[in-house]
Amino acid sequence: MLGGALALTALAAWWQRRRDGAVRGADDARERTTTAVLEGLGVRPGEADLTVVQFSTAFCGPCRATRARLQQLQATRPGLAHLEVDAESHLDAVRELDVRRTPTLFYLDRAGTLLGRSSGAPRPDELAALVGAHVRPAGARDGRDV
Amino acid sequence: MPDAHLPTPREVDVRGPRFAAWLTSAVLAVVLLTGSGVLVAGQAAVFAVGALAGLRYAPYGVLFRVLVAPRLGPVREREPEAPLRFAQLVGLVFAVVAAAGYLSGAPLVGAVATGLALVAALLNAATGSCLGCELYLIVRRARPARTA
Repeated sequence: MLGGALALTALAAWWQRRRDGAVRGADDARERTTTAVLEGLGVRPGEADLTVVQFSTAFCGPCRATRARLQQLQATRPGLAHLEVDAESHLDAVRELDVRRTPTLFYLDRAGTLLGRSSGAPRPDELAALVGAHVRPAGARDGRDV
Repeated sequence: MPDAHLPTPREVDVRGPRFAAWLTSAVLAVVLLTGSGVLVAGQAAVFAVGALAGLRYAPYGVLFRVLVAPRLGPVREREPEAPLRFAQLVGLVFAVVAAAGYLSGAPLVGAVATGLALVAALLNAATGSCLGCELYLIVRRARPARTA
C-alpha cells in the first residue's frame, strides 16, 4: 500500500512536470468559439500585439506567480496585454472552454487568432519565446528589426 | 472561506507549508504501515485546525515557526493562505474518512483514503503543487453556479 502510494506520487509528479505550462496549439474547429467566448468576457485582442487571458481562482498558488511573471514582461513589452478572469464567476465560459485547472492561459494575437493555450504555471522560456515572437519590444518602430 | 473577502490576503512563509507537508507525509506513511485509526484521527485534528482556525494556529505551522524557522535564513518568499487552507480542508475530508474506516473495522477504506492523502501530501512536499487546489475548479464547475 505504501509502495503503491509512492509509485502513484512519482507518476503524478512526472505527469505534472510534463504537462505544466506546455503550450498546446488550437484546433481550427474550436479556435473560433474560443475567441468568441473570450471576447464575450470583454477581451479585446485588437488592442494589443499579444493578449494573454488568465483564468484564476482564489485557491490557486501558481496563479499569483503567473500574474507577476506576465506583469514583469509587460514592463518591457507594452504591446502585451494581460487579462485575468475569475473562473468561479464565469463558470459558463469555463465549461465552454473546457478549463479544468488554474491557471489556464489563452494566447491571442492582434487579429483575434488563438495561438494556443496552456495550464499550470507557464514555462519561462516558452512564454518568453511566444512574447518575443509576437510583441515588439518597447521603443521599436514599425518595420524595424530590433 | 472567511478570508476570501479580505482586501489583502494573509500570507505565510512558503517554507512553512512545505515543512508541514513533509511531516504530514511521514505521519500518513506511519498510519499506512501500522493501520492506526487513532493516529490518522490525530492527523485529521491537525488538518481541522489549519483549515478552520487558520494556518497561524496549525500545529505543524507552529512547530515550523518555533523550531525550524529560527534556524533558517530570513523569509525570501511568501504565499497567500487561502489555497493552503483549502488544501487542509481536502486533507481533513480524507483523514476523517480514513479514521472512520480504520476505527469502524473497514481497514481497506482506511488504507485507500490514507494512501490518497499521502499522495497529495507527498506531491505537495516534493514539488510544492497542491492537488486539492487543482481539484477545486473541477468540483466547482460540476455544480451549478451560485448567485452571489
